[in-house]
Amino acid sequence: MALKVLTVDDSKTIRMIVKKAFKQYDCAMFEAENGVEGLAMTAKEKPDLIVLDITMPVMNGIEMLERLKSEATLKDIPVIMLTAESGKDNVMQIVKMGVKDYMVKPFKGEDLIGRVEKIMKLTLKSADDGTADNGNKYFSQIEDVTVMALPLRVTRPVSVEVESKLQSKLKDMAESQHKKMILDLCKVAETNVSLIKLIISTLQRCQSAKVAVKVVASAKQGEELKSFQETGGIPVLNTIEEARAALS
Amino acid sequence: MSLINSLDLKSLITNVVGNVFDTMLSMEVESMEGQPLESNNGTQIVGSVGFAGAVLGNLNLHVNEEFACRITAAMLGMETDEIEGDEEVHDVIGELCNMICGDLKSRLCDVGLTCELSIPSITSGKEFKIESRGWDRSEHFGFRSHNHTALVAVYMKSAN
Repeated sequence: MALKVLTVDDSKTIRMIVKKAFKQYDCAMFEAENGVEGLAMTAKEKPDLIVLDITMPVMNGIEMLERLKSEATLKDIPVIMLTAESGKDNVMQIVKMGVKDYMVKPFKGEDLIGRVEKIMKLTLKSADDGTADNGNKYFSQIEDVTVMALPLRVTRPVSVEVESKLQSKLKDMAESQHKKMILDLCKVAETNVSLIKLIISTLQRCQSAKVAVKVVASAKQGEELKSFQETGGIPVLNTIEEARAALS
Repeated sequence: MSLINSLDLKSLITNVVGNVFDTMLSMEVESMEGQPLESNNGTQIVGSVGFAGAVLGNLNLHVNEEFACRITAAMLGMETDEIEGDEEVHDVIGELCNMICGDLKSRLCDVGLTCELSIPSITSGKEFKIESRGWDRSEHFGFRSHNHTALVAVYMKSAN
């Protein structure tokens, strides 16, 4: 059964970012614009998790949390606070009120998911779920090597999607004891900042997951990567075969 | 020197603007310190968040309409032609302003200048100039991201 997640935030932007963060997981999303609406929605839907902003009109997040904790039937619902304020007093107050975790804005959706996964298990939407997108479009398998091929155009939205798919793929790889990956850039038409950041984050994620990774790119792309300080030192191979040989 | 005057506002604002633009928008911004701030051309959108307590003040984020749309698209992971309307743009600019001012408020509270934030508000229009007087500190910081500029204005004074 889908987990129920309630986002309480007066900013539609933040509600959209949270919704997108959970997009690939089997979650039913609910929204409220302030504490009053949040309490009503909580009583009605009994969510499994509440992502709660602090500064809101009508009723702020602190007051909503206080009321939540005073209701016997609602007090055990885990709450993650989202706050733009990282001051010591603010953080101490939040922690004392019994929230499961808190995140300071600015934040990335994937970081929120990381915090949620410390509290509860999230299940990816099944492949036959019409609402799930095809995460496998970036990945293929050659024996024990996973190949992640980036598309023609790497924009920020594409990067966000690839990063979230990679996170899931690395988990699958850890379970199946596959520890080799090739990052294939050959289809990418333009070397831009989004691509550079995606390469760096991919290498970092693979390193954290103890997955050996090799980068495959055309000679021209290799030269372009060298011109960026962040990617200048990354060894680039020109074919998948070379990369497989280097990984063996 | 008073607590307000001893704050290193330049570093504080530069760091938080860089962090917010990088984390939420994947945009790099550079400080325009020492460069003339460009005059306001076309429609300007100004996000504003106030703070009140031991210190009173306001933080405004000024961007032109084109940059505001680019920021909105980046924040919501879409293309600019997918933006539904002004409300979406205003909400994003207000939220960015809230994040920047939230960090400022936290640093103020950490040094004993306890205060609370207001809900963000938005002003938009053409050929207007905001003059704000009677503050202990009134500073402007310019930032550039590719061809676009953003201006952060901070005004503050002691409540005493």
